[in-house]
Amino acid sequence: MIGRLWPWLQAAEPQAEAAAAPAEGGGLTLGEMIMHHVTDSRELEIPFGGALRRIGLIDRTAIELPRFDPIQLGPVTLDLSPTKHVVFLFLAAILVAVVMIWTARKTHGKAAERAPKGVANLIEAFVIYLRDEVALRNIGHGGERYVPYVLTLFFFILFANLLGLLPWGATATGNIAVTATLAFLSLVLIEVSGFRTLGPRGYLRTIVFVPEGMPWYGKALMAAIMTPVELLGKVAKPFALAVRLFANMTAGHLVVLALVGLIFVAAPVASWILPVIAPVVMAVAIMVLELFVALLQAFIFAMLTSVFIGLIRHAH
Amino acid sequence: MNLFTIVLQEHEAGGGGIFDINTGVMFWTVVIFLTLLVVLTRFAWRPILGALEARERRIQEILDAAAQDRVEAERLLEDQRRQLAEARQQAQQILAEGKQASERVRQELLERAKAEQEAMLARARQELTQEKERALEALRREAVDLSLAAASKLVERRLNAEEDRRLVRSFLERVGTEAGEQP
Repeated sequence: MIGRLWPWLQAAEPQAEAAAAPAEGGGLTLGEMIMHHVTDSRELEIPFGGALRRIGLIDRTAIELPRFDPIQLGPVTLDLSPTKHVVFLFLAAILVAVVMIWTARKTHGKAAERAPKGVANLIEAFVIYLRDEVALRNIGHGGERYVPYVLTLFFFILFANLLGLLPWGATATGNIAVTATLAFLSLVLIEVSGFRTLGPRGYLRTIVFVPEGMPWYGKALMAAIMTPVELLGKVAKPFALAVRLFANMTAGHLVVLALVGLIFVAAPVASWILPVIAPVVMAVAIMVLELFVALLQAFIFAMLTSVFIGLIRHAH
Repeated sequence: MNLFTIVLQEHEAGGGGIFDINTGVMFWTVVIFLTLLVVLTRFAWRPILGALEARERRIQEILDAAAQDRVEAERLLEDQRRQLAEARQQAQQILAEGKQASERVRQELLERAKAEQEAMLARARQELTQEKERALEALRREAVDLSLAAASKLVERRLNAEEDRRLVRSFLERVGTEAGEQP
């Protein structure tokens, strides 16, 4: 929280002196400040950057990320310059990799002879639950090959969500481009698994719906009506996945930031006790809820991906 | 300014809006996620899932072995119980036989002792009777002789010795018979 609040204070401070120094980048409104925190940016905020600048150790509160020239691929412009969210995605990936490989070393080989314990045991509990109750239960027989994907998805999203709750952190999963990409990857996996299980004919039937026991014109009519519906259904699933994760992560942060912002909105008009204590209590409560939501949304994303894979594999 | 209008304004402005889709970010997401997927599958999920499966298998084996051991133990216990019961029964039987044998021996000894005692008693009685007979015979003869001697002394003077002797003898026989009838 402090991390989020701090740059705001940095900004608020010159705001008071805005008349004296308007060029300082002050004069940010609360709304602009909040948007700045939930959207992507080309800079990384330095932890304690404001304080460090004040004591003269550094002269800026953020690191400018390198910029590359955009690549033109047909109609698509690809700007590969890393952004704050890309950095945090990468950080999440590194953290997941370190934790999981460490867990693997703790459970594998000689360590397998001992009873499981500690953090590795906690991770194992998650892995077992995701394997048995999420992947295998929903995908059904032959779901073992999808377990690594489900596990990676869950832990990657969880870590990205949690990084957003840290001071100076950024929620990469609060970026619609990130969630849309993850949902797209899930869509590809869902369709490929359907194709592999059902074969070309069976897979085609999940797109072109031909009802049994109808005269030919009935079948043609139903196919004509249902095909767009089926296609829409295929696209709607990942769309819902993407929007659900993005909206949940963004909304939580917006609420927390708005509550903290209340302090500064109310400060001039009320005594300091009420405008400070009430928003802080509420913001802390929402933060606790956010911790749960971070876990829940990662779980839902992994769960629904498994459910969709199971659905298409058992489609007839 | 309310938040929603800001969101819309920023979106319309096109610079860093909340609904902006940055293709570069998408590209990096794909790269990062797929790399993570490959790395984790190779270095984390396979070892972890393998170890989990191995452990599950081992626990199952141990449980199976335990169940088998219990069945075996129950069987052994049953065996032992049966053997114990048999041994007890045998002991009982041996004891009973011993008791019977000793009873028989005791009975035999008792009977033999009784028989011996009776035989001895009978012999003693017989000897006693014989002795008595002999004593009576001797007494009779003595008495006859004495009486005769006394009578002859007496009759020597006044009577025919032969006649007297017969008289005395018949008298003595009567005495003897009465004595025999009432010993």
